[in-house]
Amino acid sequence: MKNRYLVGGPITPLLISELMTLGDDDTGTGAVSIFIGRVRDDEVEDKRVKAIEYSAYEEMAVREADGIANTVRSAFTDVRSVIIVHSLGVVRAGETSLFIMVSAGHRDHATRACRHTLEMVKEKLPVWKKELY
Amino acid sequence: MVAKVKVLYFAAAAEAAGATEELLTADDTRSLRRQLTDKYPALAAIPFRMALNKTMLKGEAQLTTNDIIAILPPFQGG
Repeated sequence: MKNRYLVGGPITPLLISELMTLGDDDTGTGAVSIFIGRVRDDEVEDKRVKAIEYSAYEEMAVREADGIANTVRSAFTDVRSVIIVHSLGVVRAGETSLFIMVSAGHRDHATRACRHTLEMVKEKLPVWKKELY
Repeated sequence: MVAKVKVLYFAAAAEAAGATEELLTADDTRSLRRQLTDKYPALAAIPFRMALNKTMLKGEAQLTTNDIIAILPPFQGG
């Protein structure tokens, strides 16, 4: 991990399993909602996407991710933790480039806050992609 | 007052400028924006936004020497 929000290369199954243990000592959590975003092998002008290379304004991305996590925690009072991890560099089709995990007391805020976090990440995180064929 | 600022270019904006950063002088973000699109016509085709010192700019702002302005094409995370 380059910092708590950005990781070089794909988010591996090993990293995902490690991230899933975060907060497992919080026994007030009754619901955990996870979103996993993967690179899709879209066909663009007769060419198949093999990978995506992600770049970011890293310092701003950290500030924005902090802001997103704080906003979500304020908006959904039952939420206990918000984890956001995005890839930088090359991620091949089928591999994971985005991981979001929201823990809450109950399922309603866990699922809705996870979706809200995802939409804010899409809107606010200064990340760009370049398709590799 | 003319400010000397560092301009950072990302993704398509870096391709349009042919650089990832440079030092420029400008009074405010409005004049800087005009200066940039005059200097790099390809940048005018990108609906970029600006961040001032790592915070997304809303409207326009006066510039101060040592400010960092980032030129941000539409985000594509996820």
